[in-house]
Amino acid sequence: MATSAVVSESQSQSRAWPRVLLVVGRVALGAIFLYAAYSKLYFNGGWHLRDYHFFFAMAIDSYNMLPIWAVDWMARILPWLELTLGALLVIGVGLRWAASITSGLLLVFIGAMTRALILGIKIKCGCFGNDEPLTVLTLLRDSSLLILALAVTIGAFLIKRRRAAVSS
Amino acid sequence: MKPLLKRIGILIFVVALAAISGVSARRQTKPAASPSAKPASVVTGSPDAKAMGSKSAPITIEVFEDFQCPACRNFFETSLKQVIDAYVVPGKVYLIHRDFPLDMHPYSHQAARLANAAADLGQFQTIERALFDSQDQWSTNGKIEETLATIVPAAQMKKIHDYEAAHINDINASIERDHAMGIERKVNQTPSIYVTSHGKTEALPGGGVNYDLLRNYLDFLLRQ
Repeated sequence: MATSAVVSESQSQSRAWPRVLLVVGRVALGAIFLYAAYSKLYFNGGWHLRDYHFFFAMAIDSYNMLPIWAVDWMARILPWLELTLGALLVIGVGLRWAASITSGLLLVFIGAMTRALILGIKIKCGCFGNDEPLTVLTLLRDSSLLILALAVTIGAFLIKRRRAAVSS
Repeated sequence: MKPLLKRIGILIFVVALAAISGVSARRQTKPAASPSAKPASVVTGSPDAKAMGSKSAPITIEVFEDFQCPACRNFFETSLKQVIDAYVVPGKVYLIHRDFPLDMHPYSHQAARLANAAADLGQFQTIERALFDSQDQWSTNGKIEETLATIVPAAQMKKIHDYEAAHINDINASIERDHAMGIERKVNQTPSIYVTSHGKTEALPGGGVNYDLLRNYLDFLLRQ
């Protein structure tokens, strides 16, 4: 009786590990996204809720990829999208969707950064604030964030599937 | 029921965040809250021969430039010329050139000295334009005066040349002052642009700005 209790306890502990890792991963990723949003709204020593998009648009435009109307639209939306995704990841709600969108977003960022580096364009990354230069290191950093985001996405889907299997 | 509660929870969280940041913004966007803010008078009040427009303009733009820097030429040709026509000439913007010659460009100091001599003679705009327009030519061989001689009248060039030779120490000191100001502001690339309006100075992302985006921002500031 005592042996089976020990076995079931160790089983439940081994099952808890992936969940703990998932929580740590999503909170870390969420916090980073919250900081990314904050750095686009608070800079030059003050909040820029009314004019943040002018500055961020200038950073996005330096990638030389989008027409001005798309640059302006992206500059207005992106900080709030990052804020929402960051909050969802930290809270752990809508995790599969939030992590999937985060992964997609990071994939787009990495694509744009890789293109700029290949073309040798010296620009601002626009990742954390508007004045951070784009280097190979920033690309590596975003790539590691993508790995984390993909791990959270896969973990969220696996846990959901396991829950569905247990309940059925 | 639980998912519904979770959704309501998220909604409350997002609204609360927005409210908090909104309140903070109202508190902190006041001029005093910005450590980088400088009184407009510090910039616009200084006697600067390398400036254009009215000192009483509601907006001041300072551009830290290197005459041999391709990004500076691109910014000058594609954005700054339009800013001059649309905002400086009508008195909406006071435009100040700040020298920030980079060591990686062998002829940028020489070009800056020539531009400063021209500035003291009231011919800065002509020489600035000529330097950027012909950058491709002189930046390869350093023959700045010879190149400019094809654009600027010979008598005018001689006057600038003689003035530069006679006032070389003052000219170097003026360039060094601008450079020191750039270092103080943590300028790490050219062009670096600073916009002062309503007593608050904002650094734009370095490396030059598209004219349409700059125009949107200037119009926004003028509406304030």
